[in-house]
Amino acid sequence: MFERADDVVERVIQHLRRPVAIDPGLDARVLREIAQAPPTNRRGWPLWSALAAAAVLGAILIARPWSRDETNRSDLLQFVFVAPRAASVSLVGDFNDWDPARSPMQTAQGVWATAVRLAPGRYRYAFLVNGVDWRADPGAPTARDDEFGTASSVVTVGGRGS
Amino acid sequence: MGIERVESSDAELVRRVRAGDIGAYGALVSRYRDRLGRYAVHMIGDHEDAEEALQDSFVRAYRSLARCYDPARFGAWLYGILVNRCRTTGARAARRHRMFVRDADALNGAAHGDQADRVEWTDAIERALARLAPEYREAFLLKHVEDLEYEAIAELTGAGVSALKMRVKRAREQLQLYLREAEHV
Amino acid sequence: MILAALLMVVQVAAQDPRLERLDPGTRSAVSAVVDSARGDGLPVEPLIQRALEGATKGAPGARIVAAVRRLTVDLGAARLALGTNASAAELEAGVAALRAGATPEILAHLRDLRRPPLTMALSVLADLVASGVPADSAAAAVLALAPHARDADLVEFRRAVERDIALGAPPGAATSIRVNAGAENVFSGTGTNPGTVPRPRRP
Repeated sequence: MFERADDVVERVIQHLRRPVAIDPGLDARVLREIAQAPPTNRRGWPLWSALAAAAVLGAILIARPWSRDETNRSDLLQFVFVAPRAASVSLVGDFNDWDPARSPMQTAQGVWATAVRLAPGRYRYAFLVNGVDWRADPGAPTARDDEFGTASSVVTVGGRGS
Repeated sequence: MGIERVESSDAELVRRVRAGDIGAYGALVSRYRDRLGRYAVHMIGDHEDAEEALQDSFVRAYRSLARCYDPARFGAWLYGILVNRCRTTGARAARRHRMFVRDADALNGAAHGDQADRVEWTDAIERALARLAPEYREAFLLKHVEDLEYEAIAELTGAGVSALKMRVKRAREQLQLYLREAEHV
Repeated sequence: MILAALLMVVQVAAQDPRLERLDPGTRSAVSAVVDSARGDGLPVEPLIQRALEGATKGAPGARIVAAVRRLTVDLGAARLALGTNASAAELEAGVAALRAGATPEILAHLRDLRRPPLTMALSVLADLVASGVPADSAAAAVLALAPHARDADLVEFRRAVERDIALGAPPGAATSIRVNAGAENVFSGTGTNPGTVPRPRRP
């Protein structure tokens, strides 16, 4: 059936105007990237504002010292958790003997953060809020094999080319 | 927890970001993500590259926020950053194979009947768009899909209004031609 | 008698001091499992960490011991599949992959396809399953990417699949689409049985 040229183009326009699904996780990735490298021309924006930009959760790699020996290599990761009403948040996991006293987190504007140096490997971890409330990291893969009834997350530090 | 959402104007949110409230920038990102994302996806033709361009544009906008001289027009200013960023990606993507996997329908796989027709039509449109010269595609999308006035597009792209009108006209003609060809294949 | 007492003191002293966070009965049982694992050449740090996790979370002693025992068994299974040269990190990641549903054959196949360390590849496989991807699809995807993808590429792949799932794609379809778009060794569809994949020719 003959269709007027303008009608074809109008159909195209209507089709292209349909909403396109953009991953809502992009918001978090933007804030994470901002948090990784605070701008140099901040004009007085405090350092914690950059960390607060990580209202996204998930360990952020912030430093990788160069080393030929992969077995001795370690990465500095920043863990971030948003809990505006918490009195305390600790990072606990396979890298600190699950000891809440080892990695207490610092807070600014309700965003809690701490940095941990990790050798290559797979680590289970969680956040302990107010000393009693176990929270997994929504920005990280889930540790499925939880045998103790509370949620945990996983971070893996790679070796070659990571 | 997560990103703060506040029903404030762009100008107010920009003011708060400059005062150190990064949550306010998250609100700006949420506000513009889908709309700018639509442009990026159709301009670049690859969902992943488009999201990368979008992410990059948001980060660049944050880092150069001091140069947003009219915070009330933050959206338009951000558009300009994205349009430029898409030009770079477009050049790269043209040299690679691209997947036209673009929305949940396609990801779910067209079964038959209406869904299959829709996927086919989507593909035909995207192929036709991809065949347009980049400057034609850019002008067409900004005018007809993003509904910007020619003066605003001129400001974003640096092209004159007459040149833009010609590009949009050519884009319409070529799209119509390519889609007719596709029907007869 | 004095000798036996001395030997007991020595044995207690050899226990990892971190295990003192456990009650005496649990500590003794866990230490026995740890010692046995050490004797078998398995890494013991994961076992100790699992016990400490249980202690911090206030789990009953019996559950802690059971968890440590189960991990020991699974570390042994991972080592059988990955070989005695596998590092502790690879074995831990191998355990995660096995518990996610990967077969020992898949782990062995991965060992043949990819230069060590395999930690990230195994982790990504386990993490994909945790996101809802069927185990066979996850395994097929990782095996397809294994020969050439860097660790960072595997991480990006996992994130991309998670994004697609968040956008509403069925997990298996999201995985196979991503693999078909990017991998040189392509698996078609989600129903491929990784066990039928031909092994690559050895040089």
